[in-house]
Amino acid sequence: MELTAPQTTDRATVLRYLGAAGWTPDAATGALLDKAEAAVRAAATPRGIWRRLPMTALPLAEAGTDLARHLRGCDELVLMAVTLGSGLDGLIRRLEITDIALGAAADATASAWMEDLCDGLEGEIRRQITAGGRYLTGRYSPGYGDCPLTLQDPLCLALDTVRGIGLALTPEHLMTPRKSVTAILGVADHPVTGARAGCGHCLLRETCVYRKRGTTCES
Amino acid sequence: MKVEEITARRRFVLMDGAMGTQLTARGLQPGQKPELAAFTMPETLIAIHRDYARAGADILFANTFGANDRKLAGSGYTAAQVVEASLGCARAAADETGALVALDIGPIGELLAPAGTLAFEDAYDQFARVVRAGAAAGADLVVLETMTDLYELKAAILAAKENCTLPVYVSMSFEARGRTFTGCTVESFAVTAAGLGVDGLGINCSLGPEEILPFAQRLCRCVPAGMPVFVKPNAGLPNPDGSYNITPAEFADLMRAYLPTGVSMLGGCCGTQPETIRLLRQMVEGHTPAAKTPVVRSRLCTPVRCVEVDGITVVGERINPTGKKRLQQALREGDSAYPCAQAVAQAEAGAQLLDVNAGLPGIDEAATLEMLVRELQSITDLPLQLDSTNPEALARALRIYNGKPIVNSVNGEQKSLDTILPLCKKYGAAVVGLTLDEQGIPKTAEGRLAIAGRIVAATDAIGIPREDVYIDCLTLTVSAEQSAAAETLKALTICKERYGVRTVLGVSNISFGLPCRGYMNTTFLTMAMQAGLDLAIMNPNTPEMMAAVRAYRVLTCQDPQSSDYLAAYANVTITTTQAAPAAAPASDAGDPGRDPLFEAVRRGLKQEAHDAAQKALETAQPLEVVNGILIPALDRVGEGFEKGTLFLPQLLQSATAAQAAFEVVKEAIARTGTPGQSKGKIVIATVKGDVHDIGKNIVRVILENYGYEVTDLGRDVPPERIVEAVRRTGAPLVGLSALMTTTVPNMEATIQALHQAGLPCKVMVGGAVLTPSYARAIGADFYAKDAKASADYAKTVFGG
Repeated sequence: MELTAPQTTDRATVLRYLGAAGWTPDAATGALLDKAEAAVRAAATPRGIWRRLPMTALPLAEAGTDLARHLRGCDELVLMAVTLGSGLDGLIRRLEITDIALGAAADATASAWMEDLCDGLEGEIRRQITAGGRYLTGRYSPGYGDCPLTLQDPLCLALDTVRGIGLALTPEHLMTPRKSVTAILGVADHPVTGARAGCGHCLLRETCVYRKRGTTCES
Repeated sequence: MKVEEITARRRFVLMDGAMGTQLTARGLQPGQKPELAAFTMPETLIAIHRDYARAGADILFANTFGANDRKLAGSGYTAAQVVEASLGCARAAADETGALVALDIGPIGELLAPAGTLAFEDAYDQFARVVRAGAAAGADLVVLETMTDLYELKAAILAAKENCTLPVYVSMSFEARGRTFTGCTVESFAVTAAGLGVDGLGINCSLGPEEILPFAQRLCRCVPAGMPVFVKPNAGLPNPDGSYNITPAEFADLMRAYLPTGVSMLGGCCGTQPETIRLLRQMVEGHTPAAKTPVVRSRLCTPVRCVEVDGITVVGERINPTGKKRLQQALREGDSAYPCAQAVAQAEAGAQLLDVNAGLPGIDEAATLEMLVRELQSITDLPLQLDSTNPEALARALRIYNGKPIVNSVNGEQKSLDTILPLCKKYGAAVVGLTLDEQGIPKTAEGRLAIAGRIVAATDAIGIPREDVYIDCLTLTVSAEQSAAAETLKALTICKERYGVRTVLGVSNISFGLPCRGYMNTTFLTMAMQAGLDLAIMNPNTPEMMAAVRAYRVLTCQDPQSSDYLAAYANVTITTTQAAPAAAPASDAGDPGRDPLFEAVRRGLKQEAHDAAQKALETAQPLEVVNGILIPALDRVGEGFEKGTLFLPQLLQSATAAQAAFEVVKEAIARTGTPGQSKGKIVIATVKGDVHDIGKNIVRVILENYGYEVTDLGRDVPPERIVEAVRRTGAPLVGLSALMTTTVPNMEATIQALHQAGLPCKVMVGGAVLTPSYARAIGADFYAKDAKASADYAKTVFGG
């Protein structure tokens, strides 16, 4: 389904992705971000898809302990996927050739949009699930914690993302178009929050950019 | 029925309805592969086919939609086995009613490069295996359906036509905005598929009958009159749970709207059922397909842009190495970034098509033209004019071109017509015909018209329609032969009238050897437009020529409300200066801190840096500009970045400004003809399996700004290509990037391969998941935490 593009862009998030968290941009950078946002707006085609499925829809036994903890107490799954489309990848490719600063700004803007769009779709799903008297966890994506990236394959198949939103995987289980997100949520008959992986279990434990800076992806 | 009845279009031909929906309704479990139904539930599969046949379907689509090696990996079955068994099930049901059986082929399920990592040639091979298996198993026709990527469709069409003799029908899926997920338009689909010689085309899936109707009408207007058009809509738009709302009766009723459109084949996609087809059969009873009256247009396209050549159309001429030293240098070095930047600049200046020429002594023209087409179509959506007379170069470029291009050119020589026209026909390209032959260029208009007549006879004979033929009556240099210009224009006007073709001229040829060429070019262009010129091959970066084009469009009512003209010039003031070369002003160099170029780079001002570099080169040698101003400015910015007083967006803006200045310097060096004095060669790549390359692209810009000669191999690069590049260039330094933990092993494999090959290069690595210790563990010499660090390390490797 078509998703509505964010009305505004969270500039703080964009700057964080550009390695300039907390910085008040100078006039030139402000203009750069404006230009990047306009370009992203013209090129992006935000699409989303979600399905409510039985727990058996994914091979959860092979999906690690962190996801299992996230889904504890749940008896149904919601799978979702969001993409900004291949036109946006083309834009970034073009900008990287002609203006690397604008390319990086567009890339970061698109990433900020992805968070916004995922929050929006999750909110819509939550409204529907809650209206039915059920409860929903937060989002959990393959590749986090000890959950393998290979889970992308059955996830995308179950959602039929290729036909539904034009999202496909490479043989290395990476998503194309590149600005795409998939997530797994649990549904239960009692309030649930799910559990993020935490650094202790994370595959990126030794190499995480956040940990290198002394923070975490949660903060 | 017989296959010939489809093309006869005397009655509506019915195709079947949904397969997946029916399998699920009849017991397919979640997680079970629908492709294997011929093995896991053959009775059910045959029953579904039989229900469709009895309901009145003339064509049954075998359950082979996902029968490719990628989707079947790990299933224990090969594509060939699944194709044979599935066709067998369909045939068992079809024999009862005499229905035809189609080998049904869907998308592979992976995006082709550049959007994904699947190579065009690999997609072709996968499709070819399925096609051969289907033909061997006795399919009556091939249907390629639910395609959303024109490039994948092209690979599939070529695979079908080159690996069997069956009729090929194709359909794509469009979103409500009239484009596929990858942005392909209805018109681009129509002209590309029809050009590649399919037997019929249509639209299926994604939308319901009402939403598809206007797109089907557009399709009918774009394809040749005799070519059947079909639709297989969904039963409306899907609900979030995957169900559909339109009942069979409603569906059949909505499909009534297609009776007068020229569509001659109907069926259903997701959410339809045998009852849908039965009611469709009832609905079409007593009706015959309406005549289809295509609107004849000259069209060229990429997936997202279909250009109708209707009035003056600008072809950018800058990607042609003849007389362009900087481009020659880039092509010799295999550097695609420079021609790509030229493409973007021409597009921004108003070019609608881009001429691409790789004819340069000493390089492999065929390989270079193919590389250029591949790279250009990944960054521009303008259709390309493939400029070569080398059949091998054209064959390779035409094969991988995504859309409908134009070939430049054939001429009146029999050999040229015999070798190149068949390529144009096979790949559905338009063609430029030059009015010259073995005897050279006829002096008179009549002489050129005679050659045009021979060219048109040849294109007619091979089946290239007149709207796809562009005759070039040849611009001669007016300083050599003053009366020739009038003869060219006379030939042009008569040629259009006499043969019903389009015309093209290389406009700038008129002014060779004369000063102020812009004056001559613009005036000749204006005269040619008035004479009826369609394609002007010219430099769109020349403001006065683009102004002539835009003004002409206003004056001939091709620019309604002058809107394009106003958009281009509302805020423009013309300043004309006719200056004789003046003495260069005294430079205020000395203190680089006050130098305008230094300041422009430091402040990240792209245009200012470009202009300041030009100014600086009036008084200083290129290398002095680089070493004395550019690099100190970059160092100053880099220091600020390290100290944390400057941020990445500022560093990148400075890098962009320096890049613009550097380009001016490179132009200057190329003009002198001496090879550029590079600070050293570096090979960089994002390793195999990884598609995240922005970090690597930033590193490239920074290293180039410091004067290194960077060979950028792109992303998803296998170890052997990196080894080959290092061996070829002798680069003492290699930079590798990887973003994902899953692809770091490929980085390690690459380093090992470099060592095993005995190449004495240093390796620096970077990427989000790496650390200094991790980098050491995989055998890297240096961990670059950011682009600045990579430049610092390069300095230690190369010294200075």
